[in-house]
Amino acid sequence: MNNSLRLIGTAAVIVILASLSGLASEYMLGIGFTLFMYIALAQSWIILSGMTGYISLGHVVFFGSGAYVFVLLWGLVPVWLGVAISGLVVGIGALMIGYPVLRVRGPYFVILSFGLAELVKNLVLINEARMYMSLRPVFGAPPLAQLYIAMLVLAVVATALTYWIRRSRFGAGLRSIREDEWAAETIGVPASRLKLIAFALSGLIPAMVGAIFIMRSGIFQPGDAFNPIVSFTIVTMAIIGGSDDAAGPLLGVAFLVILQELLWANWPEIYMIILGVLLIGFVLFAPGGILGWCSKNLSRSKKNAA
Amino acid sequence: MLRRLLTASLVIVGMLGLLGPSQAADPVKIGFSISKTGLFAPAGPSQLNAYLVWQKMVNDKGGLDIGGKGRRKVEFVQYDDKSDPAQAVKIYEKLITSDKVDLVMAPWGTQHHFAIAPVVERHKFPLIGNTAASVALRKVKPGYLWFTTPMMPDNLAKEMTAMLKSRGVKSVAIMYNLLQFASENIQFLKPALAKAGIKVVFEAKYPPDIKDMTGMLTKVKGKNPDAVLVHSYPGDSILYMNQAREVGINAKTQYVMVGPAIGFFRGMFKSNLDGIVTMAAWTPGLKNTTGSKEFYNAYKKMFKGHEPDYLDSVEVFVSAQILEQAIAKAGLDREKIRQAVNSMTFDTIYGKIKFNGVQNSITPAGFAQIQKGKIEVVWPKQRATSSVVDKGAWAK
Repeated sequence: MNNSLRLIGTAAVIVILASLSGLASEYMLGIGFTLFMYIALAQSWIILSGMTGYISLGHVVFFGSGAYVFVLLWGLVPVWLGVAISGLVVGIGALMIGYPVLRVRGPYFVILSFGLAELVKNLVLINEARMYMSLRPVFGAPPLAQLYIAMLVLAVVATALTYWIRRSRFGAGLRSIREDEWAAETIGVPASRLKLIAFALSGLIPAMVGAIFIMRSGIFQPGDAFNPIVSFTIVTMAIIGGSDDAAGPLLGVAFLVILQELLWANWPEIYMIILGVLLIGFVLFAPGGILGWCSKNLSRSKKNAA
Repeated sequence: MLRRLLTASLVIVGMLGLLGPSQAADPVKIGFSISKTGLFAPAGPSQLNAYLVWQKMVNDKGGLDIGGKGRRKVEFVQYDDKSDPAQAVKIYEKLITSDKVDLVMAPWGTQHHFAIAPVVERHKFPLIGNTAASVALRKVKPGYLWFTTPMMPDNLAKEMTAMLKSRGVKSVAIMYNLLQFASENIQFLKPALAKAGIKVVFEAKYPPDIKDMTGMLTKVKGKNPDAVLVHSYPGDSILYMNQAREVGINAKTQYVMVGPAIGFFRGMFKSNLDGIVTMAAWTPGLKNTTGSKEFYNAYKKMFKGHEPDYLDSVEVFVSAQILEQAIAKAGLDREKIRQAVNSMTFDTIYGKIKFNGVQNSITPAGFAQIQKGKIEVVWPKQRATSSVVDKGAWAK
């Protein structure tokens, strides 16, 4: 498939998805919103964790912080400016906190990232309680169709960013860190700087996602905004997708979001059980994720046919 | 690559097909979300059971009276919202736009009410709220949402202070959960106490998932206050009941906010629950109410001898009674139901209820006390079925 054809195809898909905002039922838009939200989150996660191998189990910290900054600004600045500011503030915060945090590697980084998210959650909780504000309603948010488009934009930007970084010199540097950080530094890869930029980039978009999400859920509560389940879901989606390239998260997210919707809508009583069984099945029988499984089995069948 | 993507997208499109709407049937379809899992799961049954009791009582009568034009049975469409407001939003959108329910009923708790307020507003679905209480609710634009609760934090603070004064309390210890409703109560309670000249000798807040409060309680014991006011939720209420007994908190007035009104508390703590004051405004013997005995008996029959939660189950049933009476007057036209709710006076197990804006303007905030294993309304005095007594010594 040549490149311009692929570009036109991608553009067409995006235009179709955007035009759905005026056509699809609200329920379908809601599913689309969740889909784009997790695409944006998982792609951002890939920039840091997929490429450098620094597995973050606390990505919700960016999501929640963005939501908090946004809710503090609510009513003070125009809505979309507020979203942009949330992204910037959290991105800058990530730059500052990234330096000490990224000195820790392997399992220690995993634990640290999780702990960081819990720490920020509790700081926000205490701060809110001091003002007797453990719950902030967001009245008068834009309609779902607008939020849907905004989330689509973030998903596209995040996917393009991951796609581009993966093919850039910067991305090559990040992957060299994953393979062997010492060796990479020895041959002149500026590892600390690259990691730091990746950390900030991977925080920027989730912060804006968090801000938009708060407008959809209608309220800000520290416990929901910093819910560790969001972090776990991101990692699960990336694993199920199974790649450090942009296509992996796309498949993983689409699969898991639609599966979840299907299950809770049709089997509300037992859907968590089914979901759990499926996840275990994936880890056992398709450890390479959807992409890995497809390339293994489909290429074999091609060989057999030939 | 192309083939792989094609296969994957075919699978996904196939799955989407299964998401289509289900069919409408003859009974009146009423949808709601329930917190069956997650943080609020312990509160879920109090709400769901009351809905189920109401459904059975209505269907046993032959169904809902639809504006005097015959009866139709009630059918529920319900989903678990995992105690997640965003999921509740999705559920109400699905109920309204995809399941095409006739009406909706409330989810659990203040946060979920806030979350779904824009959804019911947009689709013009009237919703009688229950289990939601916050002064911030008054910021909700009057429209399609009403709140049945009498337990508004500012009113509670006023009544609490009056009750303490009537008991000659001079000093109190305050402990509270960091969750919204509890901290909001403290915000109003402290100025009210100060105005009444009641001294706060100890104050502490704690996280929702607290596992041990003996440290706090030891300090409370050292201050020897006349009253201990614990603004707690069911989980931490259990913790308080156990550890206050161990530490030996002997204040004559002990208030445990949410929990003691739930049936299993009495089985769990037996005589130790006697004398505990809690947030509730109902008892089966309450005068000037409509259907209290019937509700109580139907609940006990349906749930094999278990009692309803005197706080949440009651409020949920009240909201159902309001909806039922509005439908009896206005039929199923949602706009007419809205007008009916705004203008009618309803006869409920709380007594008469009328809305002023989004709020219940009649039922007063109040407290109940467990006396000899039974829950009695003790405050405010004009509604009381008994008067407040001292908490006796803990049984070992």
